[in-house]
Amino acid sequence: MTTTTPQPLAEHGEAHGGHNMTGFIIFLCSESVIFLAFFSGYALLKLSALNWLPAGVEGLEWRTPLLNTVVLVSSSGTIVLAEHFKAKDKLWLFRGFWLLTMAMGSYFLYGQAVEWGGLQFGFTSGTFGGTFYLLTGFHGLHVATGILLMGLMLVKSFLPGNYVGGEQGVQATSLFWHFVDVIWIVLFLLIYVWQG
Amino acid sequence: MTPSPSPINRPAVVAVSLWVGLLIGISRWVGLQSYHWFPVQASNAAPLVDGLFSFETTIGTFVFLAVASVMAWVILRHRAEKYDASDAEPIEGNTKLEIIWTAIPFVLVMAIAVYAMKVNTSLGVLGPMEHIHLADAREQQGGYPGDRLPAESIEVVARQWSWEFRYPEAGVSSTELHLPLDQPVTFRLVSEDVLHGFYIPAFRLKQDVIPGRAINFNLTPTRIGRYRLRDSQFSGTWFAANQADVVVDSQDDYQAWLKQAAALPLQAGISDAVVEYQQRLQQTPTPGWATVKPAPPPQVNVPGSNALPHDA
Amino acid sequence: MCPDPMPFPTTPEAMTTTPSLHQDQPPLSWTRYFGFSTDAKVIGIQYIVLAFFFFLIGGFLAMIIRGELITPPADLVDRTVYNGLYTMHGTIMLFLFIFPVLNGLNNLLIPTMIGAPDMAFPRLNTAAFWLVPVFGLLLIASFFVPGGPAYSGWWSYPPVSIQNPLGNLISGQSLWLLAVALSGVSSIMGAINFVTTILRMRAPGMTLFRMPVFCWTALAAQSLQLIGLPALTGGAVMLLFDLTVGTSFYRPEGGGDPVLYQHFFWFYSHPAVYVIILPVFGVFSELFPVYSRKPLFGYVYVCLASFIIVGLGLIVWVHHMFPSGVTMWMRNLFMFTTMLIAVPTGVKVFAWLGTIWRGKLQLTTPMLFCLGGLINFVFSGITGIMLATVPIDIHVSNTYFVVGHFHYVIYGAAVMGIFAAIYHWFPKFTGRMPYEGLGKLHFVLTFIGANLNFLPMHPLGLMGMPRRVSSYDPEFAFWNVLASLGAFLLGVSIIPFLLNMISSWARGPKATHNPWNAIGLEWLLPSPPPVENFEEHVPTVISRPYGYGTGLPLVEHQAEIERQLTLQEASA
Repeated sequence: MTTTTPQPLAEHGEAHGGHNMTGFIIFLCSESVIFLAFFSGYALLKLSALNWLPAGVEGLEWRTPLLNTVVLVSSSGTIVLAEHFKAKDKLWLFRGFWLLTMAMGSYFLYGQAVEWGGLQFGFTSGTFGGTFYLLTGFHGLHVATGILLMGLMLVKSFLPGNYVGGEQGVQATSLFWHFVDVIWIVLFLLIYVWQG
Repeated sequence: MTPSPSPINRPAVVAVSLWVGLLIGISRWVGLQSYHWFPVQASNAAPLVDGLFSFETTIGTFVFLAVASVMAWVILRHRAEKYDASDAEPIEGNTKLEIIWTAIPFVLVMAIAVYAMKVNTSLGVLGPMEHIHLADAREQQGGYPGDRLPAESIEVVARQWSWEFRYPEAGVSSTELHLPLDQPVTFRLVSEDVLHGFYIPAFRLKQDVIPGRAINFNLTPTRIGRYRLRDSQFSGTWFAANQADVVVDSQDDYQAWLKQAAALPLQAGISDAVVEYQQRLQQTPTPGWATVKPAPPPQVNVPGSNALPHDA
Repeated sequence: MCPDPMPFPTTPEAMTTTPSLHQDQPPLSWTRYFGFSTDAKVIGIQYIVLAFFFFLIGGFLAMIIRGELITPPADLVDRTVYNGLYTMHGTIMLFLFIFPVLNGLNNLLIPTMIGAPDMAFPRLNTAAFWLVPVFGLLLIASFFVPGGPAYSGWWSYPPVSIQNPLGNLISGQSLWLLAVALSGVSSIMGAINFVTTILRMRAPGMTLFRMPVFCWTALAAQSLQLIGLPALTGGAVMLLFDLTVGTSFYRPEGGGDPVLYQHFFWFYSHPAVYVIILPVFGVFSELFPVYSRKPLFGYVYVCLASFIIVGLGLIVWVHHMFPSGVTMWMRNLFMFTTMLIAVPTGVKVFAWLGTIWRGKLQLTTPMLFCLGGLINFVFSGITGIMLATVPIDIHVSNTYFVVGHFHYVIYGAAVMGIFAAIYHWFPKFTGRMPYEGLGKLHFVLTFIGANLNFLPMHPLGLMGMPRRVSSYDPEFAFWNVLASLGAFLLGVSIIPFLLNMISSWARGPKATHNPWNAIGLEWLLPSPPPVENFEEHVPTVISRPYGYGTGLPLVEHQAEIERQLTLQEASA
């Protein structure tokens, strides 16, 4: 508890920093409600639609997105491995797996971009187009944020003594990455699997 | 009312009982008064709604007066003397009381809710709400397309800012709603632009009109007279002026009106918004801020009026 | 304008038992209220002062609205202007007055009540505050864009809100959405901070069931923000896309559903009412014991009731949509859940009555505001039950009955409670005593004004006058004249308040550390408290709050701490 830590009150703004993880978890819980809102909006619009798919669109191709999904979900495993090596102070292995996770995330984004490029409908093509781009886009934004955070942590790992005070940055990034993965699984089920 | 049940204080019990009796009397009276706070009852829903409201007013008045009595008593009798800064006797709580004042409100509100649900059921106001293509609901100006609607219902078309009523069986359209006395009517509510509210206070009934849906809505008028229909869901600039009159006629008068109306040629119906918009255009500079342009007045057989004195 | 900081205690034991300032700290200057401070007590006052600035603007708009409505025709302002004004009145009062003023109270009270030196994330706190003037300016700026400000009401229901008559990208409506989104970001930042602070930074010995009720209600209210606000944000993002890039989430022509927006909106905006009223319940629960000199009746039940309200508050939103396009089973279900809210709320009301019963009441200004707020709240609770019953709601929804109901809740109860809190804690955070005479005048004018303004709205609604109208039929004129007179009286009532605040802060009598003889950690700090509150010397809490008349000390070494504070005051 901050109130009992005998740390010197160095700079006022940084004096009470020990609660970042609590704050971050609260933030993620709150953030998940936005996705929940989008998911329920998607389901409601789809269920009540007279014509769900825009004219000329048959449905979504799911094979390539499935491959993307496998890559993204496996990256949750590689980030766990990275953290594991971090805990054992094997910094180079940590960096390796961390970089691999970033690469897998980037591959996912690339795959998404390719998919977007080949689609027959746009953001304004009815509620189907709107919700499709809204959901995948908002999720993609989170993937990109995750990669950015990982990059930041990677740079930090080269600064001497940077992880001495704790590794909350790495933990938080990893947690965020798992969050992004779980959201994607729900999203994949909603958009690609539930096409009936 | 008294949290310390030590030796029973007879005069206090009598006084509190008398006071509660008085409050019950007053509450009952206020509950009966509440019927006068409404417009006249002109539909079969009105007595049910007013009865429920009176019931809730009675209970609500009692609760309010009881709380106010306790507060008044405390303010008058339990005030600290001047310069007395001492503490009172520390009563920290009483589990029995907590249970009582959790249970009583629970029972009360559940009773009200069950009563209300019964009223809902017996009214059966709301029919299906099918999704429709807005493009289909949007018809060209020029009278009523007789082939699209079930014959027994009246179609209500809401626009920015006018009301149009279409009688498929008679092939009549109007900007004044005519209804036969004591006959169940089914409306089919559609909107061509934004949300509107189909609200007739004398009927105690209201239903939002939603673009992209056709909503079936039932009521039975029970009193001959002229009433107001008001737009109850904010619909933009001339929302307040989007009013129409509802005329409840006897069976014979209603049929006569329909027959007469069917013979009339189509003409521009009532739209106060269009009139005010024209006046607005005359002024330079144009007053106020940007506005959506009103839809042209609907072409109807009978424009009717919305300026005659109304009963409610 | 601002009183001097605490002198440094000289006795050795003071070092271990009492809060103290760093010796080398320069005297605090009043200019800190105009900069990027990270001190929660400075931010709290910044929030409150800024909120009252916007309160004056929102109140001025209300005066114009009531001026228009004093006569039946739309004759004072153009209809387009009226619609913009009522929209901005609601928006400013909610997003720029009541939420900021409550966050101000949270900032002042949470750290001092739980013995924390500051918030968990002081810089996040600063950022959250400074977003308020940013989106406030944005909203005010929207008055001056072509076409005028947003005019679709604070609900911004589509399709009206996406009609955009001029077709510009920068319209009043798009600026409105941007401002509301920023307000959401600011509130989420605040909520994360308040919740973390309450959960992680309580004084030693302060278990959850030794925490003051205000902190309980703040925790409950901020949890609601965290759960509800993202749903509104999601819905608002979709509305912004519909408005600006032409998607059709809510656009019926493209297959969208305008009612979907209403679900998103009310999933947050009904709980938002509890975000407003819960902290005010907290204020009532703090103040009734102080001015009745008795413990809070049923402390544990009052604490728990807040969280029952949170749980129920999240499953009642459809009661705002009874006449919208929802089916009968939804109407019935949500009527029951809404009715249930009366139960935990009743527990609280009865607990306050139990608290003042057989107390030794001191009718100070804060106590008067609490009593007035309580009776207004009971009235609004009863009309609330009426609104929850579907058949009555079908008749009075979207009429002045609803306007009267929620103004009783928000002005009659919440704003009165906020005034009570300001008068009560004013000496603690400014070090000066407010004037009782002006305070009581303020109370009388507010109480009469609020009732005269908002009571006539109920008969109007029952008669069938829709809300948001710029003109009305002549049969409604009588009650509207009364309401308008009440509104002007409310406008006058703010004058003694402002006079009181400014003059007593500038030259009011100096306050001792505990002028009301209240129990609570914040009253064991000097008035005003030093920057880091207790710093390292946080007292250990050993009993429940509100031990009036029990003779039990709240913290270890309480007598010693109080003796030190008195000595400091004597030497000042």
